[in-house]
Amino acid sequence: MIEVHGLYKSFGDKEVLKDINARFETGKTSLIIGASGSGKSTLTRCLVGLIDPNEGHVLYDGRDFLLMGTKERKRIRKEIGFLFQHSALFDFMTVEENVRFPLDMLTNMSKKEKDNRVAFVLERVELSHAHKLHPSELSGGMKKRVGIARAISPKPRYLFCDEPNSGLDPQTSIVIDSLIQEITHENDITTLVITHDMNSVIEIGEQIFFIHKGELWWEGTQHEILKTDNKELLSFVDASGFLTNKKG
Amino acid sequence: MAAFLFHLGRYMILMWRVFSRPEKLSIYRKRLFDEMVSLGIDSLGIIMVISVFMGAVITIQTAANIDSAFIPTYTIGFTTRQSTILEFSPTIMALILAGKIGSNIASEIGLMRVTEQIDALEIMGVNSRAFLILPKVVAAVLINPFLVVISMFVSIGGGYLIAMFSDIVTIADYVYGIQLDFRFYHVVYALSKSAVFAFILTSVPAYQGYYASGSALEVGKASTRGVVQSSIIILVANYIITQLFLI
Repeated sequence: MIEVHGLYKSFGDKEVLKDINARFETGKTSLIIGASGSGKSTLTRCLVGLIDPNEGHVLYDGRDFLLMGTKERKRIRKEIGFLFQHSALFDFMTVEENVRFPLDMLTNMSKKEKDNRVAFVLERVELSHAHKLHPSELSGGMKKRVGIARAISPKPRYLFCDEPNSGLDPQTSIVIDSLIQEITHENDITTLVITHDMNSVIEIGEQIFFIHKGELWWEGTQHEILKTDNKELLSFVDASGFLTNKKG
Repeated sequence: MAAFLFHLGRYMILMWRVFSRPEKLSIYRKRLFDEMVSLGIDSLGIIMVISVFMGAVITIQTAANIDSAFIPTYTIGFTTRQSTILEFSPTIMALILAGKIGSNIASEIGLMRVTEQIDALEIMGVNSRAFLILPKVVAAVLINPFLVVISMFVSIGGGYLIAMFSDIVTIADYVYGIQLDFRFYHVVYALSKSAVFAFILTSVPAYQGYYASGSALEVGKASTRGVVQSSIIILVANYIITQLFLI
């Protein structure tokens, strides 16, 4: 479980995050939604320590990440898997080397154990056949799946996914969403997904957090979001075209 | 001045992190060998082509500038050797490599920055500065003196070709000249400064690439900055080292 208490972040005079309080449950897929510039990416970067917030606490199963020294933070980071918006695969490595990299760097597994783990995760994301390819030879959907494989290969306790569907066609988006949710349930991990794809919200959003102008505006489930009377959230959902498409 | 101090401070902090204890030595060892091939072996072709022409031109220009009949023609061989060992091979090669390797390093690391690959390393708990920069710097410092030695031989060989195919100096005079008053200290001085230049031509572009931000356009600018700054710093370092060790 990840808990956030009283998180504030400003860049100069601009307050980007204001008093964020949230609890992301273990074994559930939590979605952070909001318009571009609402602060959701900054929130995620604060959670994983890429940006230091001005104030607040981030607790990973009770361990306060922001009060930790470099060594302790490193230990927590080894428990984090991160899927980047554009996958961020290492260009100079093959698919297999990308997936093996966290195991080489972060674990003391034997070569055989690593081989088995890499084979397992590539099989899990249905990319066993592509293990010798380089990222430049992969489609957008395949890159995301390699990104997921790399993120889960060291068996993380926390998985962050930054806009996993951006740039993907609707069919591939469904595949990626399902994969993220299945992995969350299979491994009983805490998963946070940043998205503004309303289809994802309805498909996999077990917990939904709506960020508006840097504040946590609304919190609920995929069922509750359809019945909400929150003006800003309705406006966001309406702007996404989701309701129009459903009615159509 | 404030900007200069800011960059100097940030560069020093970056280098401090680059030389911190590596996480997994076996991974770094593999990367070091890969970089030695990429920075060294892959530069061999351009080094040899430039060196052979450089030696040939020094020989012709020296011959063209000797007007007096009292100056013996073996001076041509002597001057070619001295110019090559003391200045051309270590410094000109460093400037050539600053263009070739420096732009490559700045754009490679810069592209990794803008495509979030560096963030990916950081989130995994990997020291991205050491992982990306340390093998390049160490590989260049180790391999550059070898490249310079090869350049010295090829450059002097270029002069030999001129002696062979023209009548400006006989082969015997040229060979006598290149052996005349040879001081091994000059080679030590040249190789020492080539190691310093290697450090500069890798670490400065790496700094520019590491702190690149924004788009591919910014990566291009960072790459240019890396090459220009490392070239200037190499020239300043050349002056300081020469003043300290040769006078």
